[in-house]
Amino acid sequence: MTGPAAVAPSVEEYLAEITARLPGSARTRAGIVAELRSGLLDAMDARVAAGLPAADAAAAAISEFGDPFAVAGGFRAEIAAGIARRVSIALLATGPLVGLLWIAAAAASHLAPRVRWTALPRGLAAGLPPVLAAGLLLVAAAAAVTACGALTGIAVTGQLSRWLNDRPRRAPAAAAVAGFGAVGADALGLALLAAQLATAPGKLSPAAAAAAAAASAARIVLARRAARQCLAMRAALT
Amino acid sequence: MRAETLKGHLDGILLAVLEPGPRHGYAIMEALRERSNGQVDLPTGTIYPALHRLERAGLIQAAWSSAGGRRRRVYELTPAGRGALDTERGTWREFSAAVTALLQPAPLAASSP
Repeated sequence: MTGPAAVAPSVEEYLAEITARLPGSARTRAGIVAELRSGLLDAMDARVAAGLPAADAAAAAISEFGDPFAVAGGFRAEIAAGIARRVSIALLATGPLVGLLWIAAAAASHLAPRVRWTALPRGLAAGLPPVLAAGLLLVAAAAAVTACGALTGIAVTGQLSRWLNDRPRRAPAAAAVAGFGAVGADALGLALLAAQLATAPGKLSPAAAAAAAAASAARIVLARRAARQCLAMRAALT
Repeated sequence: MRAETLKGHLDGILLAVLEPGPRHGYAIMEALRERSNGQVDLPTGTIYPALHRLERAGLIQAAWSSAGGRRRRVYELTPAGRGALDTERGTWREFSAAVTALLQPAPLAASSP
């Protein structure tokens, strides 16, 4: 039984140095390391075929690959872009779903004598209490920030990146903005619900409000974690 | 030729190396060395992140393949990658022609008024 480690221990040590400096999931890192390993072993084979002893061939292949810090640095930007893209897509997809739950909750409740929902975009005189109307505007603003951040995160990590300068920090920054925007939108939603519970709990539809609140609470936890991860990855890039 | 000198042209060079057909990482490195008569000798490890970036941009596509008991990630140009390579070639020809003309020793200004 000769696994890769048995073939070239120094190659495995070199790969471990790179892995230790990579963010992302174990699966992502395993894929990168597998690709690098096959490249290193190819480089080693070429030297063994030229007559070098295995240990010398491994050392030469490693030196040809270059500084493990530099190799890991190159991949860090790529991993950050991949994570930023997934975070952006998830935020963009879940936003409307959570929003619909809140709209359903509002529709099932009796928030005003006669709410004219269609009048909301034009002004606050839709029959809603002023605090609620102002809160809804803030939610809309936070949702807009989320959407802009997420759309940017998706755009700069996809095919559009062909025409853009290579700026590795852009994607994680955009995804972090989207994440914190989502945290803000959902927290505002929950705050409005709390205000409504404190002032006029009888007007709420309990089941619909609970569903919307649970969805927002879950999204806050996940979006906050993702946003902080993106910020950390951004800070680690040069 | 060092990495800094090639900066800005690595993408085009990688696309050009993949133009004749699919290659894996080490074969790309060998082709770079061969086609440049040994002038281009980058740290091989830096090629891989660049390939992943080109893949994300949709200019190349990758697939794992097994040959001789070793799994390798093989890269191939996409139609968009061919287009980008053509553009890169055109830009480079214009640029190099202009710089060549500018760097040429100017004829002595004997006939100037």
